[in-house]
Amino acid sequence: MSIKKENIRNFCIVAHIDHGKSTLADRLMEKTGQVSERDMEEQLLDSMDLERERGITIKLTPVRMFYKAKNGEEYLFNLIDTPGHVDFTYEVSRSLKACEGAILIVDATQGVQAQTLANAYLALDNDLEIMPVINKIDLASAMPDEAAKEVEEILGIEAMSAPRISAKCGTNIEQVLEAVVERVPAPKGDDNAPLKALIFDSYYDNFKGVICFVRIMDGTVKVGTKIRTYMSDKQFDVTEVGVFAPNLSPQPCLRAGEVGYIAASIKSIEDTAVGDTITEVSRPAEKPLDGYKKALPMVFSGVFPVDGSKFNDLKDALLKLKLNDAALSIEPDNSAALGFGFRCGFLGLLHMDVIQARIEREFDLEIITTAPSVSYKVYKTDGQNFTVENPSKLPPTTEIDYMEEPVIKASIFTPPDYVGPIMDLCQSKRGIYKDMVYLDKTRVELKYILPLNEIIYDFFDQLKSRTRGYASFDYEISEYVKSDLVKLDMLLNGEVCDALSIIVHKEKAYERGRQIAEKLKEVIPRQMFEIPIQAAVGGKVIARETVKAFRKDVLAKCYGGDVTRKKKLLEKQKEGKKKMRSIGSVEIPSEAFISILKTDNDR
Amino acid sequence: MAGIYIHVPFCKSKCSYCDFASYPKETSKIESYFACLYREIEARAKEFKDKTFSTVYFGGGTPSFVDEKFILGAVRQVKKHFNLVYNPEITIEINPGTVNKEKINAYKSVGINRFSIGLQTGYDCQLKKLNRIHTAKDFLECTNLLKGENISADILIGLEDQTLEQVKKSIDLALTGGAKHLSVYALTPEVGTPIYNDYLNGRLLSDDEVADIYDGVREYLSQKGIDRYEVSNFALKGFESKHNLNYWERGEYVGLGVSASSFMNNRRWTNSYKIDEYNTAIIFNKVPEISSDIIEGKDAEFEFIMLALRTENGMSIERFNKEFNLDFLKEYAEPLKKKQKYLILENNRLKIKPEYLYVQNDIILEFMK
Repeated sequence: MSIKKENIRNFCIVAHIDHGKSTLADRLMEKTGQVSERDMEEQLLDSMDLERERGITIKLTPVRMFYKAKNGEEYLFNLIDTPGHVDFTYEVSRSLKACEGAILIVDATQGVQAQTLANAYLALDNDLEIMPVINKIDLASAMPDEAAKEVEEILGIEAMSAPRISAKCGTNIEQVLEAVVERVPAPKGDDNAPLKALIFDSYYDNFKGVICFVRIMDGTVKVGTKIRTYMSDKQFDVTEVGVFAPNLSPQPCLRAGEVGYIAASIKSIEDTAVGDTITEVSRPAEKPLDGYKKALPMVFSGVFPVDGSKFNDLKDALLKLKLNDAALSIEPDNSAALGFGFRCGFLGLLHMDVIQARIEREFDLEIITTAPSVSYKVYKTDGQNFTVENPSKLPPTTEIDYMEEPVIKASIFTPPDYVGPIMDLCQSKRGIYKDMVYLDKTRVELKYILPLNEIIYDFFDQLKSRTRGYASFDYEISEYVKSDLVKLDMLLNGEVCDALSIIVHKEKAYERGRQIAEKLKEVIPRQMFEIPIQAAVGGKVIARETVKAFRKDVLAKCYGGDVTRKKKLLEKQKEGKKKMRSIGSVEIPSEAFISILKTDNDR
Repeated sequence: MAGIYIHVPFCKSKCSYCDFASYPKETSKIESYFACLYREIEARAKEFKDKTFSTVYFGGGTPSFVDEKFILGAVRQVKKHFNLVYNPEITIEINPGTVNKEKINAYKSVGINRFSIGLQTGYDCQLKKLNRIHTAKDFLECTNLLKGENISADILIGLEDQTLEQVKKSIDLALTGGAKHLSVYALTPEVGTPIYNDYLNGRLLSDDEVADIYDGVREYLSQKGIDRYEVSNFALKGFESKHNLNYWERGEYVGLGVSASSFMNNRRWTNSYKIDEYNTAIIFNKVPEISSDIIEGKDAEFEFIMLALRTENGMSIERFNKEFNLDFLKEYAEPLKKKQKYLILENNRLKIKPEYLYVQNDIILEFMK
């Protein structure tokens, strides 16, 4: 492999969700002969089943392509994919750091959307050359000129000459390839300088240990190089370097400007945090690449096995997932209602959803998850202070001086028609209005400070339904602010069910308590006795519902021919019961614990 | 003691709730079917030479729909090949509108001594909706032919818009007809039956409404000295169905004919539901079974408990212990404790408290291991 540095192009594709990122990536690979059309499984980049199913990218997958340009030169393209969800913003910014340019896809039917903006700004912040591409010109409703104009107006990037393409039909893909050659700068960097490699992703391989995805900024790395990570300050001997073709393909070395991987018998993914810098032990770089940030879990939830005896299986599953996911935090937890399990921390709700789905799908485990919580700061009257992520660990009210909750800076992008409903929503979520910017005739940006614990309930869903899907939303964690918070307990048949407790703002307690009680009434099946459901704050009942006793569950007939059938029916019921949890004498289906989240959606 | 069940898969028309093996359009097969049935009777009798049988039951379908000669033939064949006790209980299900004096006399002449009549309801509009072929008046004409006989009547509860008062009136009609035994069944909408659509559309009564009617019926009948002895069965003292009691004691029985189930020597089997399939098997000297299972261990124990607890009288712990060579109270201490609120343990019997008989699934599930 002897491609000149001047002929390397490292770039990524950024887009609003569903604007065609993965499809364009597929076409680029196809056109450069990386994959033949026939063999190609739709959307190669999204390799995890789950990603393909949801149409989102979670893990980054770099792809390498060779392109013979019209000028007769051969070029090496490294396409670095980026996750497309706000939960993974930090990872997006890391992968951008590995590039010199970004293709910005804009949907010709929708124009600039919230994530188009957010990602474009991220790319600009990272000094990337941005190349707009107008996609979906094959659709009848496409308005490519308007979309291009919008890009120019909102982002201030020249877009009239942008390729007008249809990634789906493969129209004008070559224009994109040529634009990459012409507009994306070649990487800089000195092969002979001390090694500086940016880790932009990593995963655990059972045979090779952690595989670090790196962009070499300076220097050269090869097998045998003694390397050191800056942040975790660990040393390793490189056992393999290579590139993605698209599978791991070993190479003699990686030089400045190149994108590839390093394996060095690294046992823990924590040692190779995304954003960290790898350098040489013998000749360290003076300082690491800047901008390293540890990915912090923001949303916490209890995860328990439905079948209590599967605790160890759950533990194994979580540990295996953690091997590849430094952002996932796990800690043993113990609930009176649910038994032994874990308190897990996630980047956001999507991350939580993905982890849950992977546990169930890849490890075939049925789990119960409790309502997500955020991390609160508790200041006790005796001067002690600590953080609490689990409502059941909250000390008694009398011992608490005050509490603080995390708030976010939210940017909501919407057509002007929906400003009213969004403001109502933000207000009902205890939002503090900060600013409103008219971006153009069709787009407004609303800025709010919102408590994170309101966001993790049903904010996304509400936002979508109130704006018929037009609004989009981005946020960053801002700070902790003092707040009047209380613990809301749910009592079933007079007993507190710890797994149903949540921490809420005092003013919200009554409403939430009533909603949860109503929801529980729906999801708890009628049993042989009447079950009072109560919501209580500090021992005071604030809402009550009743699940009436059932009156008939017997089969009308049971004669000679009915025995087997009846037995089968009962066996099925028994199976169903196994998925229930007993709180005292009350049986609760496992989905009840998470369904209390969905109270608002139903109305 | 054991029972014999004989299935007659023919009737004039299909009722809207019926999912039994019953084929109104296949009456041309009556002759060949009974020929095969007689052969099965003979073959099965040989297999169980050493057993004695005390009840015979003709169910369907509508056994009274076919010419009486077929029924008489079957009774004679049973008597010829099986060991029967002296004066066995022989029941036949009959529907109003399908019998006359000659038929009844013929039945009686071979020893049929119990008549189970499908009344279902005393309201003609409801009968019509259920696609029954008879009216309330037909029922009385039928019972007139059965004066002095041991009569049982079936009543359905849970029909569209049905009230307790209507059910009481229907019961009155049955008693006027001389019934000393009543089966009061909650309508069970089975998938594939016409009435299932009514169920999906919410036209049938809810479980709570059915339970209200059921409680009312139980009270009404007990005032008349007709007590419940099983979830859906009520009788004057001494008029309980011996044949059915055998099922709930997990006694043995041979089922003969299409779709009939049997339980002999710890084996449960079921015959084919299709007349042609059944006939072919018999003609070629093959067993007409479509399923067969040996029931042992916990499975057998659970069956014993599940069946016995359907009855008012409950389960004999002594019989359980003898049958399975176990100490029931020790073996099942946990469920007994967990559900003690709903159970009665006395005189070495385990019963469900009468007021909880209708919600017993939840209780017996506890005994499933």
